[in-house]
Amino acid sequence: MASILKVDALTGVTTAGSISVTGEGNSTTTNLQQGLCKVWSHIQGSDAAIQDSFNVSSSTDVGTGRETITFSNNMTNDDYSGQISSSGSGSPALFFSRIRVLSTSQFGDDAVNNNGGYADAADICYSINGDLA
Amino acid sequence: MASELRVNTLKDAAGNNSIATSFVAGGSAKVWHHYNQSGTLATVDSLNVSSAADGGVGITRTVYTNALANVGYAVSGSHNLPSGNTASWVTGFDNSADFTTGQVTCSTFNAGSGRVDATKAMMAIHGDLA
Repeated sequence: MASILKVDALTGVTTAGSISVTGEGNSTTTNLQQGLCKVWSHIQGSDAAIQDSFNVSSSTDVGTGRETITFSNNMTNDDYSGQISSSGSGSPALFFSRIRVLSTSQFGDDAVNNNGGYADAADICYSINGDLA
Repeated sequence: MASELRVNTLKDAAGNNSIATSFVAGGSAKVWHHYNQSGTLATVDSLNVSSAADGGVGITRTVYTNALANVGYAVSGSHNLPSGNTASWVTGFDNSADFTTGQVTCSTFNAGSGRVDATKAMMAIHGDLA
């Protein structure tokens, strides 16, 4: 029977910040809070304009190929796992991004093209998994 | 007291922002791993990781505590700029034979010098748990 739960907040019973969710295979469980993406953002490389985001208060263009996003709610430490992908525009179109800023409140990248120089990517996408403060 | 709630859909109290619980389970990362490859390989923080192995410069195997259902899952990764390197960089799979339901090996590359050890290497996996 289909069911709908209407609720504004989910909190664990034993531990407030820990709720188990049964995995797709119906056997093992995963931790809901630990598995949720805490930050994601899609920005433009040319001016760091946010296209869409979650838990991001602002983004800053700090130079060619360099952007920083600031979180609305901070992470508890800088041990989280963050991923970056970027896309090129024109030629050369091959882009690489690396982590430049890693803190409880910010995450940032350097983008270079396949000629090895800093360059503004067309689009930059971030996602972060870890613990919220 | 422990409790179990069985439900298909979650909504806020006003009845808006509906999301199926399948998206909660399916959209959650099943593995994430932040590790330091410099010197002795060290896990900084993780979810669903039982161990990590150093396979050589820039090569790290992540072993899962709970296996994935199949090898159709998605892996993404990033790393910082190793000291002294200024060229391009990318994180990718090192060996497709090591891409299994129980583990994956990722490598950190530098366009100027090949594989490099990063002090801040990170990966995440989205897919179905076994």
